[in-house]
Amino acid sequence: MSEVIVITSGKGGVGKTTTTANLGVGLAMQGKNVVLVDTDTGLRNLDLLLGLENRIMYDLIDVTEGRVPYKKALVRHKKFETLYLLPTSQVKDKSAVNPEQLVKLCDDLRKEFDFILIDCPAGIEQGFKTAVAAADEAIVVTMPEISAVRDADKIIGELGRADKDNIKLIVNRIRPQMVESGDMLDMDDINDILSIDCIGQIPDDTMVVTSTNKGEPCITMEKSSAGQAYRNIVRRILGEDVPFMEFQTEGFFEKLRRRVFGK
Amino acid sequence: MADDVVKIKSGKGVLHINFLQGATFVNVRKNLEEKLKSGSGFFLRGTVVLLPRDVFSAEENEELQKLFHEHGLICRTKTPEEAEMLIHNAAAKESRQIPKKSTKQDVQEMLVVNKTLRGGQEIRTESSVLIVGNVNPGAQIIAGGSIDIRGTCRGMVHAGATGDTSAIIVADHLMPTQIRIANLIARSPDAIEKSNRAERASIKNGCIIIEPIER
Repeated sequence: MSEVIVITSGKGGVGKTTTTANLGVGLAMQGKNVVLVDTDTGLRNLDLLLGLENRIMYDLIDVTEGRVPYKKALVRHKKFETLYLLPTSQVKDKSAVNPEQLVKLCDDLRKEFDFILIDCPAGIEQGFKTAVAAADEAIVVTMPEISAVRDADKIIGELGRADKDNIKLIVNRIRPQMVESGDMLDMDDINDILSIDCIGQIPDDTMVVTSTNKGEPCITMEKSSAGQAYRNIVRRILGEDVPFMEFQTEGFFEKLRRRVFGK
Repeated sequence: MADDVVKIKSGKGVLHINFLQGATFVNVRKNLEEKLKSGSGFFLRGTVVLLPRDVFSAEENEELQKLFHEHGLICRTKTPEEAEMLIHNAAAKESRQIPKKSTKQDVQEMLVVNKTLRGGQEIRTESSVLIVGNVNPGAQIIAGGSIDIRGTCRGMVHAGATGDTSAIIVADHLMPTQIRIANLIARSPDAIEKSNRAERASIKNGCIIIEPIER
């Protein structure tokens, strides 16, 4: 029983690729066979986040055009032996792959992997249509920001049109202080508009940036709050019922220190 | 009145008009005009009048409709189903059975949408619309009739798009980006708050007004 999950958002920069990398590592940490397929042809980033850029020999386009079997293009992760990446080309563009080719590839991958995560490009054009074609399930990533929620809404509509009804939501980069002071949309506002099942609330965490630059997803870091949120999402994907974490808001002393020292 | 070219039958609060075979349009029009002027008690304001569809041309039907409208009657041509229903009813009467279907006849046409309308989705229809779900920002509804939303309305809604100023818009939480009824446009205030009561938008004195309603 393998699952093909597409990770999409509509808007760019909300954390699709970060989420794909973290969930992939998280699922592999749980002992699952996972392959990450990057479909953001021309703007590939997934390999960077995993620290695998220098190991790429062949790419998605070579596979779909039949130049090499997919096994040759798979890049195994340095640490997690059950995690593979199928990178895409940096020189071609989105028109190089079509939906039928990706469906066929995923059917082949299903035989060997438990989870196939597809990293979708931003936008609603051909690249998006190709990426969602093969998916059984979709995870929509958004941020507590009006434009990101709008785009997520549009994407959910588009997914419905493509007959993808199993849609889950992840809200990324929540800043608890701003939510508390009413400057940021809270979960109720977002659920009100999107009204789909939410499987993750990820706090804004500076460690995400450091981990991205290092090529080590933050899910492996014990201290990272975003990492904890991703670990919870992985458990939810595997069917566990995990309560949402309470966000730490600024305590009295932090506030005082910020006032006094102006940090 | 043996030489009557127009026959009127009432049933279920609806008036069915039938023309004598071979009647000319001029005769029919004249006859109807006389009847409307004389028998004002029979033609209650707001009664629905059904015309046979294919006896006269579309323009002529339109002229007759106008005539009825002037006397405060709602007039439209029969849909094929309604014509069939009438025959059905007549047959049923003969066998002294009460037809079950006939209650459907006086229900107006309505499009039912059983899902949430999301940004970028659009509904365009000549009839009225019932949405069981929300209408999200960026979604559009353009209806010839009225719009009823069982949920929150945040999109753009246009009722009575073909000029019907009596069309209304009802929603559990009415907070659209823009409301249009017939040829009037109203936009939401810049700071919009969520209302806890169902509201109805309609035209009064040439303005779109919004008032709370019980539901």
